[in-house]
Amino acid sequence: MAITFEKVNFSYGAGTSLATSILHDITIEMPTGQITAIVGQTGSGKSTLIQHINGLLKPTSGRVIVDGFELSHNTKEKQLISLRQKVGMVFQFPENQLFANTVLEDVMYAPMNFGVSKQDAQLAAQQALTRVNVNEALWAKSPFELSGGQMRRVALAGTLASNPSIVVMDEPAAGLDPKGQNDLLDLVRELKEMGKTVVFISHQMDHVVAVADHVVVMHEGEIAAQESPKLLFNRELSWFNTMKLSLPKAGQFAEKLRMQGMLLPYRPLTLVELSQLINKEVQS
Amino acid sequence: MIEAIKINNLKYSYQGSQQLFDDFNLTIQVGQWVALVGHNGSGKSTLAKLILGLIVANSGDIDVFGERLSVATVNHVRAQIGMVFQNPDNQFVGATVADDVAFGLENMQKPSSEMPKLIDEALEIVGMQAFKNREPHMLSGGQKQRVALASVLALNPKIIILDEATAMLDPEGRDMVMQTLQKLKARFGSELTLITITHDMDEASLADRVVVINDGKLILDGEPATVFSERDIMHSNGLELPFAGELLAKLDKRPNSYLDERELVQWLSHLKK
Repeated sequence: MAITFEKVNFSYGAGTSLATSILHDITIEMPTGQITAIVGQTGSGKSTLIQHINGLLKPTSGRVIVDGFELSHNTKEKQLISLRQKVGMVFQFPENQLFANTVLEDVMYAPMNFGVSKQDAQLAAQQALTRVNVNEALWAKSPFELSGGQMRRVALAGTLASNPSIVVMDEPAAGLDPKGQNDLLDLVRELKEMGKTVVFISHQMDHVVAVADHVVVMHEGEIAAQESPKLLFNRELSWFNTMKLSLPKAGQFAEKLRMQGMLLPYRPLTLVELSQLINKEVQS
Repeated sequence: MIEAIKINNLKYSYQGSQQLFDDFNLTIQVGQWVALVGHNGSGKSTLAKLILGLIVANSGDIDVFGERLSVATVNHVRAQIGMVFQNPDNQFVGATVADDVAFGLENMQKPSSEMPKLIDEALEIVGMQAFKNREPHMLSGGQKQRVALASVLALNPKIIILDEATAMLDPEGRDMVMQTLQKLKARFGSELTLITITHDMDEASLADRVVVINDGKLILDGEPATVFSERDIMHSNGLELPFAGELLAKLDKRPNSYLDERELVQWLSHLKK
């Protein structure tokens, strides 16, 4: 019941003389109930890839299988509604999509769109808002009166309210302050505990290390790696340079120490790990 | 000596809500690079809007180069301040990069004979000359923000305020913009006062001075090393230290004072030798 890409190719303007090929022969699996991070340089095809998960884009060739639903170039628009009920999508800067008169109405929009009664939609919206810590005092306010961090959480609630089994997020933590980022990572973990499959794009390797079970690395429209964060971030430094990918901050710091002649026994991926290794090293 | 910005007993509250700034004071010297930091909703962007006269204080004074901000002076004050916002896509109007830089100059009614030179100079400073005839929407985020900076520079401002100008960028774009700011500072020196509003502490550490605000109150104010020595205060105000600062706090053997990343790497490697 995972998300599977089988030999997916995608081109904009396929079949015309202006065809631009974006994704090349993508074969990946994002395991059910786990958190998959998608990383890679800007322009490597990450956003194009995730838009295939809810059928916003259809493969030019190959197929995507999401929880039994098969998406290919000849999938009809009408069939997509069942896919979109399974997959909740949170775009980059989702606060730009807020539109309703009140916070509550905004969050109710998606479930009502899927045919849920007004009463049930309201209940679902209230639950979703509570889950992302949007204070009840704000529910009747206009979403445009909120701060940036609050707007982001309302937009997230809008996706969660229709209770999707898969949640896909495009850089959900971008632009948030440290607390906002930690809250977001907690929410991602919580979604996993609820049994949901989570896919998120990130440029922050520290976030990947903090929550991801599985990482997909994209480079120029191809899959450059798909493995656990632990395996990935222990690859050679030169590989990261080629991929224009950074190490987690702890790993970067360890590399700088190495250049000054202080060699740690292995590459740490978190602040705690780094501090423990240094403490041991300095003691001996 | 005249100050770039002098804020005196500023009071401001959002319509119908509690007081945000209550007797707030801040003085920024000419030529200083000040990082104004605070969590989302701490009031840092509101302060920028107050300085620009986009919103009006309930009471108190704001002086910009000795000129009191008022209805009569607001246009003259604004003409000396350039502003770069968070979302690069919201600030483009021109069909090409050069057109975009020209827009501000046209607004200032600069003679068209002078424009090409001013545009070239501004784009050269931010390293975007080669993109002069490109369409802005085809650029990367970091490139867009540098063009936005060029548009501001062409107007020859004495103060530039960047309001979370790197928050929407990927790491590469962020580095690009930060390097450009360092170049600007090196080039213009005391002729340019720079205010960067951010919650990224690696970014704040590049400034001459870090000012921490929360709920409209000044919490800390000093050189980066001084401010970053106050880990508990930073944390309780919803902020973190730069990575090296957080690491330092977790080490058994610690240096006597705050060290930035480069210094800490040096210090640790000597310790081992």
